[in-house]
Amino acid sequence: MKISLNEIKKYVDIPKDLSTEELIRLIGARLVEVEGSEDWSEKYKGVKIVKVVSCEPIPDTHLHLCQIDCGSKDLVQVVCGAPNVHADMFAAWLAPGCVVPATFETDEPFEIGSRKLRGYESSGMLAAADELALGEDHEGIIEIDPAMPGVKPGASFAEVFDLNDIILDIENKSLTHRPDCFGLVGFAREVAGILGIKFEEPSGLEGREASRPRGSLALSVEIIDSDLCPRYSCAVVDFADAPREKYFTKDDVFLIKADMRPISPIVDLTNILMLKTGQPLHAFDYEKFVRVGGAKEPKIIVRAAKNGEKLELLDGKTIECDENDILITSNDTPVALAGAMGGASTAIDETTNCIILESATFSLYHLRKTQMKHGIFSEAVTRFTKGQPAGQTLAVLSEAVEELGVEPLEVVDYYPAPIEIPPIEVSVADINSLLGTDYSEELIVRTLANVGLMCEKLGAKGLSVKVPYWRTDLHIKEDIIEEVGRLLGYDNIPLSFPTRPFVGARDDPMRILKNRIRDILSDRLNAHEILTYSFVSKALQEKFGEDPKDSYEIVNSISPELQCFRQSLAPSLLEKVQENQKAGYKDFALYEINQVAKKSDGLNNEGVPVMKTNLALAVTGDYYKAKAYYVELMKELGLQAGDPRRAGAGDAHGAPRSGAWGAGSPSDDSWGCAQQDPQHPCGTSQLANSLLRKFKLEGPVAYFEITLDDYLDRSLENKTKNLRFSRFPSVSRDLTIKVSQDTPYEKVYDSLDRGLVKTGLIYKIEPVSIYEPKENLEKTKNLSFHLLLNNPERTLNGDEVSDIMYKITKETCKAVSGEII
Amino acid sequence: MLSVEKIKSDLKALNAEYAKIKDLPPEKRGEFGRELNKKRAELEKALQAALDAEQDAEVEPLDETAPSAPNRAIPRFNLGSKHPLMTELNRVLSIYSHMGFDIMEARQLDDEFHMFDSLNFPAGHPARDGYDTFRTAENFIPPAHTSTMQYRALTRYKDELKNGGKIAVVIPGRVFRNEDADATHEHTFYQCEGVFVSEDATMGQMLGVLKTLFETYYGQKLNTKTQPGFFPFTEPSLEFLIEKPKSLGGKGDGWLEMLGCGMIHPNVLETAGIDPEKYKGFAWGGGIDRLVMLKYGLTDIRYFESGKLEFLEEF
Repeated sequence: MKISLNEIKKYVDIPKDLSTEELIRLIGARLVEVEGSEDWSEKYKGVKIVKVVSCEPIPDTHLHLCQIDCGSKDLVQVVCGAPNVHADMFAAWLAPGCVVPATFETDEPFEIGSRKLRGYESSGMLAAADELALGEDHEGIIEIDPAMPGVKPGASFAEVFDLNDIILDIENKSLTHRPDCFGLVGFAREVAGILGIKFEEPSGLEGREASRPRGSLALSVEIIDSDLCPRYSCAVVDFADAPREKYFTKDDVFLIKADMRPISPIVDLTNILMLKTGQPLHAFDYEKFVRVGGAKEPKIIVRAAKNGEKLELLDGKTIECDENDILITSNDTPVALAGAMGGASTAIDETTNCIILESATFSLYHLRKTQMKHGIFSEAVTRFTKGQPAGQTLAVLSEAVEELGVEPLEVVDYYPAPIEIPPIEVSVADINSLLGTDYSEELIVRTLANVGLMCEKLGAKGLSVKVPYWRTDLHIKEDIIEEVGRLLGYDNIPLSFPTRPFVGARDDPMRILKNRIRDILSDRLNAHEILTYSFVSKALQEKFGEDPKDSYEIVNSISPELQCFRQSLAPSLLEKVQENQKAGYKDFALYEINQVAKKSDGLNNEGVPVMKTNLALAVTGDYYKAKAYYVELMKELGLQAGDPRRAGAGDAHGAPRSGAWGAGSPSDDSWGCAQQDPQHPCGTSQLANSLLRKFKLEGPVAYFEITLDDYLDRSLENKTKNLRFSRFPSVSRDLTIKVSQDTPYEKVYDSLDRGLVKTGLIYKIEPVSIYEPKENLEKTKNLSFHLLLNNPERTLNGDEVSDIMYKITKETCKAVSGEII
Repeated sequence: MLSVEKIKSDLKALNAEYAKIKDLPPEKRGEFGRELNKKRAELEKALQAALDAEQDAEVEPLDETAPSAPNRAIPRFNLGSKHPLMTELNRVLSIYSHMGFDIMEARQLDDEFHMFDSLNFPAGHPARDGYDTFRTAENFIPPAHTSTMQYRALTRYKDELKNGGKIAVVIPGRVFRNEDADATHEHTFYQCEGVFVSEDATMGQMLGVLKTLFETYYGQKLNTKTQPGFFPFTEPSLEFLIEKPKSLGGKGDGWLEMLGCGMIHPNVLETAGIDPEKYKGFAWGGGIDRLVMLKYGLTDIRYFESGKLEFLEEF
């Protein structure tokens, strides 16, 4: 919304010593966000009002040679191509050196000069509306009414037309609840309040009597549902809408400042009054209206539309209505989409002799939907959807009729249930205790009175605030507190801190776990944390083997790519593995911690879907690489039960066993998520070839996905560490055992481990290699281990070590039917 | 430096000197001996230095500008990374936590009640449209703001009020808006909500907390200001702005809109079963993505959910 500061100044006596910058700052701090301001005074600096003294056609051209009086001693010669230029007219002249206003502050400002046209000297230019950035008209130059005050040769165009102005660009969104501020009067009232000035209500609005009708033409009004239309005022006026006047007027400037276009006298009048008061008006052609209605007695019926009912609008479009839309009808035949746009059948035009002026208010809830459904974003509907008060419809109507200067033939005001806003009780203590201020009662009462909120004293410190009709947003005492805080400036409130007991803050257990995992995976295991969208496509789910029907589906999704709330993270992760492979990355691990949901998980006790927090990690590598991440992660989280003496590097104990997990091998087409084991709820999987192909991945790629909720309780348990260290040197031995190919690694490892436990020594078993010969006719494999032995009591000697090695090797070979190499 | 051979021959000569001791009168032998010992110690030290130098001379030539010696593996650090949004969110949360705010996690699928009803949005009110919410077929809502968690925070902790305590909670969460993504708009982003309730909460306290948050976050004193705002769940409602901090290239001119805030609407307290006559509260919520974009000068919000390693490796 555009607001002219000059217009505001007509209602508020702004202190002389207040700079414009400070005024704009205060409006921003205490009323509404000011997105920008445009200073027009420079733009029209060199534009003068001149009189065309003589105007002669230049033979064989469309041009005229004009001598103009620009207020100085000598006449100036200008060549003009406009068809409407004529002698004795007053026009706007851009003197040489003047920048064409339409190009002002653009990338290419155009400076007018003196030049020769068809051999004639031409100084400056007589300007059309579009060149002045005051409209789109380029048919001819603007013509100024000689009778207008201040018009004389050489007068400043800007001064006469009030263009030395600052135009504010207001962010409408933050005034959603303030219908009154969508009119200059309401906006000015707030500016007065902000400046601590008592606002003088303009005469003629509140409590104004209806213009007295001559009563010669009948018109009645019926409202079917007053929730849809609380008040409907209208007047029948015999007024012929003339074509636009030839003169460029101050009213034109007024509309243009508000970003509106002058159209015709009657439309301009309704628009001007709307801009001033916030109350939209609509004019119907009375005769057309009566004709459309068909009956003898003209009657306006306001009702809800029927489903499928059609109406052709002013802009030529035909809309199909639904039950939410509100229609103005002439004896039940739709003639306008209430609050949004008039209909074509009753549009006023040059044949119009008599009009119905409508000033009404409609349900903002309905109009909001109408606006969205039919895509109508007019200035009128913008105001109606804020909830224009019913209190002023008749007053604005009367003002309009008066402006037209004719007595109305009929005036109808249908207001079956006048809206009374009850007074609000609030105490000085209420105000100060919520704001944290120490404002006096006198200051509070004065501040509220400045904007028309009159207080009456109740008891010792209580106030009863009378709410004027235009403040439909004020209902509870907090609303009044807001007014006081805002008008006196929130930025003037002294800052303080809450007082609170000296207790430690609690963190969320899931967040603690998530952060520990991030520390481990990113900082210690060098994986990259990513975030991907919570919405995925059905195609992606199907590709991954998920059933899209188990997803919560977004009905108004942006695209099919973002249609389903995801059931797991892995599919999104695999997509990102592919994108990064494509970008040239070869060796990396990505992980994400985020929420997932499935319909089959049901609803929780709040009746909302059960959400789980998952961790998924995908790595360029095989099953064993993903497993290594999982095992290390669990170990770092302290979630592995087991003998602390085994906590050495490469301890694979407790890892998911490939056999038991049903995890896929690269050639396994029956790939699937591993089953969930309560002790080890992890499915580490290497992608089957078919999936690699579907995801366009370069294999091998493996991943795991776990539900952190399953780990939450255990992650909070205390983990004790049974540490044993020695000051004596350790002895290392290497060992290779040949076993049959199908002997599980764990069987060999466990046997060695059992043997070493018995010795009472400190020890580590590190896997070194798993080797299978190429031509493996015997179907065997060699498992090599590196053992580290230490006696915390004394230095181990060679014989002892040999004994131990002999024993455990023998036992292990026996247990796994292997042989020592 | 003397050569090893020269020192060795000097030492040999010195050792020969010791033979002269016996020819000296007894009273001079001590001083002579000490003199020799001193010289010998010096020579031995020099010898050791010369030997060290000889050994050290056997090093390869060094190219300090090269990543490795010829024929050796280039040392590489395969570094992981944390997502910058999560890292920055944690920084913010840690400041709140030090102030005494409990932390609570938000959820990513919610309902009409938590999104609107519990927050004093009248049924059918146009303000509901302003949030561009997504909806599922079952009419669940991926939340459009973390305020969906206010009701849960209030009800979870309201018993503490009875015991003279306060509700002080911050709630980070992922939120969703139905708008097309471009460089400055995302349909998925992160917010952090704050809720404080006590018997004597004031707007002055809220402004004090928020100013402190940003001053701690940016490590400098900041000018702050407010703009009137409108949210159905707070009354009064404000937008909170900070002066552009020095670390972001601020020169005391520009302002940054950081969050929306206000005093909790009595209807919101009442819906949660808290007596609005006895208790007052304030609440606020702001985006995290913007903080990170400002901090690192990022020009495209879509990087965050891109999963691009070239982006992540920078953090």
